[in-house]
Amino acid sequence: MTSFFRFIAKHTAYLYFLLYCSLSIAIMQLERKETLDMIRERGLAINAAVAEQLSGLWSLFTLKQNNERLFLQNARLMSKLLQQGVALRDIEDKQSLVENRADEMSRFTIARVVDRRFSATDNMLIIDAGKNNGITKNMSVMTPDGLVGRIIEVSDNYAKVLPIINRNLKVSVVTDSTRTNGLLSWSNGNERIAHIEHVPVSGTLLVGEGVSTSDYSTFACRGIPVGTIERISKDKLFYNVDIRLGVDFSSLNQVMVCPAKPSQEKLKLMQSHDSPEKQE
Amino acid sequence: MLVLAFVQHFFVSKLVIWHTAPDLMPLFIAFISVAIGQRTGLSFGFASGIIIGFLSGHIGMEALIGTFEGFVTGFFHVPEESHATSTRKRRKFYMASATALVTGYALRAFMSDPLSLPIYIRLPESIILGTLMSMIICVLAYHFGLKKLLRD
Repeated sequence: MTSFFRFIAKHTAYLYFLLYCSLSIAIMQLERKETLDMIRERGLAINAAVAEQLSGLWSLFTLKQNNERLFLQNARLMSKLLQQGVALRDIEDKQSLVENRADEMSRFTIARVVDRRFSATDNMLIIDAGKNNGITKNMSVMTPDGLVGRIIEVSDNYAKVLPIINRNLKVSVVTDSTRTNGLLSWSNGNERIAHIEHVPVSGTLLVGEGVSTSDYSTFACRGIPVGTIERISKDKLFYNVDIRLGVDFSSLNQVMVCPAKPSQEKLKLMQSHDSPEKQE
Repeated sequence: MLVLAFVQHFFVSKLVIWHTAPDLMPLFIAFISVAIGQRTGLSFGFASGIIIGFLSGHIGMEALIGTFEGFVTGFFHVPEESHATSTRKRRKFYMASATALVTGYALRAFMSDPLSLPIYIRLPESIILGTLMSMIICVLAYHFGLKKLLRD
């Protein structure tokens, strides 16, 4: 008996080992039971809480990097938004132009050029459409190639057209891609070449760029093609711009009279006095 | 022990290389066993296993692993009356640590398979890589603190 106790005392480590192993295995078996499940859940809750706090602490160190990353992402999104905004505006512009044309196309009056006064400075055209055809003063005349001129006088069956190749007619125009505004004028004897005035040197122009009527015109609806830029030279304050007209006046036979006119309300407001009335 | 368990669970276990992270608990158990004795090592192994298991959710398995680690490291105990040199103590400590690490990683590889890796991959991978990484920490820990404690 004494030797047994001596053996036990000598090998208590083995007993401890067996005891702890048994306990561990018992815990493993009991892990499916509710009580241990609860302890385990509590442990996992503590684990999650501490991990959350630590990740919060860690995020302080990565705050600068995250901030920079977000800033870059923001910049990328902003540039995308701007690009899409510009594209959307272009699409809307084109759509409104197409809609206007489709709507007004059916109301165009087709006319024939029946007479013409040739001159080096003051050309004039007569077309065979007048009041009886619904033609009124200040309507714009055009061909599929571009703007021809403006109706200045109407009789029952005829109308007089002031063409753009007349030094007395000036038309507000805008370039198609750079959207630079200017005033179209014609002064010399060449029927295919006109000029754009009042384009400041700060503006942008491109050779070969299309030119069409702008919103500022007092008779022509916007977007009617006029021609293409042929030559650009710089003066002190303004550009000297030559444009090749879209319409070939030497062979002009058929024209269309566009019924659309700029808003009378806009024109009236434009012609009113600029200085405010004195008030007491 | 509690602090070490927290450090192990929340920081060291995140340093994963090829599905394996270093383990500090076997080093602690090895130190206790070498310095104090097998029984104390066993008790500390079991207790540390319970704490780690409480945090990881595998109480029984971690307790069993801790118990085994405490048991095997107990054979490297250096009795106070043996008047062992510091070199012998160091060698015993390293051997105890390596044995505890191999035991721990092997048991864990056998008993759990969180990544569904085949046993012939996860066993050598975790034993070799885990032991190597932990032994680096063991050497550093010995030179920067445990050396003095073992001498005392």
